[in-house]
Amino acid sequence: MILVGELSLWVALLMATWGATVSFAGGQLRRADLVESGERALYATLAMVILASLGLWTALLTHDFSIKYVASFTSANLPKVYTITAFWGGQSGSLLFWALILSIYTAITLWTNRTRNRELMPYVAGTLALILIFFLATICLGSNPFERLDFIPADGRGLNPQLQNPGMAIHPPNLYLGYVGTSIPFAFAIAALLTRRLDAEWLAAVRRWALLAWFFNTVGIVLGMWWAYVELGWGGYWAWDPVENASLLPWLVNTAFLHSIMVQEKRGMLRKWNVTLVVSAFLLSIFGTFITRSGVISSVHSFAQSPVGKWFAAFLIVSIVVTAYLVSTRLHDLRSNAELESMVSREAAFLYNNLILVGIAFSVLWGTLFPIISEAVRGNKITVGPPFFNTVNIPLGLLLLLLTGIGPLIAWRRASIANLKRQFLTPVAVAATAGILCLALGVHNLAALLSYSFGALVVATIVQEFYKGINARHKMYGESRIVAFPRLIARNRRRYGGYIVHLGVVVVFAAFAGLAFKREFDLTLSAGDSKVVTDAWGHRWTFLSQGISRYNVLNREVTAIALDVTRDGKSEGVITSEKRQHVDSRGAPTFEPSTEVGIKGSFKQDVYVVLAGVRGADGAEIRVTFNPLVRWVWLGGALMAIGGLVVMWPAADRQRAQAGYAAVLKPRPVGERVPDLVGA
Amino acid sequence: MKRREFLLAVPALGLGAAMFPRRLAGAQAVQTFNGPMADANEVYRPVTLAAKPGAQASMSDAQRDDLEHKLHCQCGCNLDVYTCRTTDFACSVSPAMHADVMGLVSGGYGAEEILAAFKSVYGEKVLMAPGKSGFNLVGYTMPFVALAVGAAMVTALLKRWKSRAPVAVTTPSSYTDASEGELAALDAAVRRDG
Repeated sequence: MILVGELSLWVALLMATWGATVSFAGGQLRRADLVESGERALYATLAMVILASLGLWTALLTHDFSIKYVASFTSANLPKVYTITAFWGGQSGSLLFWALILSIYTAITLWTNRTRNRELMPYVAGTLALILIFFLATICLGSNPFERLDFIPADGRGLNPQLQNPGMAIHPPNLYLGYVGTSIPFAFAIAALLTRRLDAEWLAAVRRWALLAWFFNTVGIVLGMWWAYVELGWGGYWAWDPVENASLLPWLVNTAFLHSIMVQEKRGMLRKWNVTLVVSAFLLSIFGTFITRSGVISSVHSFAQSPVGKWFAAFLIVSIVVTAYLVSTRLHDLRSNAELESMVSREAAFLYNNLILVGIAFSVLWGTLFPIISEAVRGNKITVGPPFFNTVNIPLGLLLLLLTGIGPLIAWRRASIANLKRQFLTPVAVAATAGILCLALGVHNLAALLSYSFGALVVATIVQEFYKGINARHKMYGESRIVAFPRLIARNRRRYGGYIVHLGVVVVFAAFAGLAFKREFDLTLSAGDSKVVTDAWGHRWTFLSQGISRYNVLNREVTAIALDVTRDGKSEGVITSEKRQHVDSRGAPTFEPSTEVGIKGSFKQDVYVVLAGVRGADGAEIRVTFNPLVRWVWLGGALMAIGGLVVMWPAADRQRAQAGYAAVLKPRPVGERVPDLVGA
Repeated sequence: MKRREFLLAVPALGLGAAMFPRRLAGAQAVQTFNGPMADANEVYRPVTLAAKPGAQASMSDAQRDDLEHKLHCQCGCNLDVYTCRTTDFACSVSPAMHADVMGLVSGGYGAEEILAAFKSVYGEKVLMAPGKSGFNLVGYTMPFVALAVGAAMVTALLKRWKSRAPVAVTTPSSYTDASEGELAALDAAVRRDG
């Protein structure tokens, strides 16, 4: 099976090459037989990549340590679940995983478009085949997971302990699903540019894929934050690490696209912009992988430097040049007869929303690259850490939050004064009340204050929109409001799913603002010692050490401290934090010690304990962090994912959904008055 | 843009890229999940100053911890000194840097003086964020400049689009606003029809 897998990779590369060649040729020559052959070649590529993946999984599960990858990332005593997830624990395996997802996505795209978008499909298939060729060639020639060692070690090195975590088992696949998901819209964009069919057809084909990519990217990012929080032990969930930033970049651009696509659908505007966003999301996904693999920028996530980085750099440059050429030579075809009736309109709000989202993406990219720019210009190495990113991005984030509240309140085409008054009155009043309440409660941090006020504005906007929609159904159909609520969402999933996403964003922002009340304490405790500290809410917490214990379990040696915790004299139970030294099957240490954080969480705050060091037999150095509102980050992330699912969920009545999807606001005769409707 | 124009532009960009300093190509040290790559012997450099006359501790422990949040641990972990020394069992660099900070604090030196002392020994990379002066200002201001330019472009674009729109005729005074109920009904009807 392993040999079959190895050979399958090469066959897959040949198949993809054939697929790319005949797909483009079929499209150019308008030969249906060639197009069909190309599509079949891509289905065959999928079969070959699946075989290769099964080959690698077989090697991992049978502990075939003659294979370098297996020996490098697993050991005989590694729990089975992590032996399976070790597939994407190292570079070559994760590249194969990427190719696997891409070939699955490609097959789904070909299958779902077998009777649709036929003019575009040869070029879509050809573009996807080219991307597959790149990944398969990189795997076969640059980083082959089936590479064999000259000898067979008795045991493998094992998987990095920090990757032995449920979050890490599912976080990378989600990110990959998101990253790779941007390939499909990119392929459609290239196809549309090549064929000059730049109307709404290609956009309709890619919206759901862009949403899918956004959904998985969101889930991947939030899971990554959770993993960093519970596993790395530094006390937070986002460190502005270059690789974290790299995952944020396509997410931001994709989010901008999901907003601007509505403007093109409704008004036929922003054609160039939408193509640019789709292409940028894909290129930024590749850029993220380039950062991870090349070692150009220092990151806790970086694998060792490898020649694969250069492959990605070359692919990135070629992709940029090709797409820049295609866009620049088709500017005429991308021209739209945009007309704007008012600066105060949903279209204008969406444009500013896009500006902020792309502005944040730029600032994150700029901050990530600034160390090498500075070194190139001045020869000085500098560090661009959280203080820089917070300084730059907090104001931009607050602006975005404000626009999230304002945008849905403004009507398409033109908002009258009466409409604005009616729409804004309640949300603004709620925001002002929230601000005053926060001040009264002692929130004096400006960013936190604005965050809560703007968050209240967004929530009020959402509630108002739901209230109006439910009332409309109640009046139209006589439905009870309880029945009207789910039906309202079901009838317009895009709009109300989007509001659920907005709600998730508010919750996440509220949790971020809670960081203003974070407190950290560095304590040294011997067995029986206790220390008292006070959190941001004024509660007195006592930490009493029960001493250090040392024991062996599974594939690790554990040093643990147990702390009796009381809050204002009332017992809060025991918190345990560990340091783990992982060992191979012969008991030899495999990695540096890793941290197992002790967390006692509530919706108000987490008490986060890290065993930082041991002194003598029972002395311990611990860090206690009071992290406010952390659970709200996970809750907000879940809400965003649920909202994304609602938006993506296929409509039961396909025809109606299609009609709704195609709805475009027709130009109205000059002078005709339109009531102030707020529509999605 | 014509094909020929594009083809001419690409070599020009390539030439520009080739003239960009070669330092860019040099990869920085890489941190892996295996813990810090460097130990104290390799990267730690003492930062010591003679104590000020009659020196007393210049700050509280909490203030010192805040100060250590501004210093970048040199073990390669991307964390600040405080977080690294209270997180990473294996790091020998952050405890050494912490000891230097404590020495300077007890020697009567203030936060800015301590940061300057570290900067003079390790260079600017020891700060978690670059100082807001000189070329670094480009780093801090560029996102806002880009946003301002973008906002100006968007506004200009919107104005151009607006100028293309037909001029609306003044609403006859006999019109009255639709009631909430009428609007809700119309809203629902529009949604139903997509």
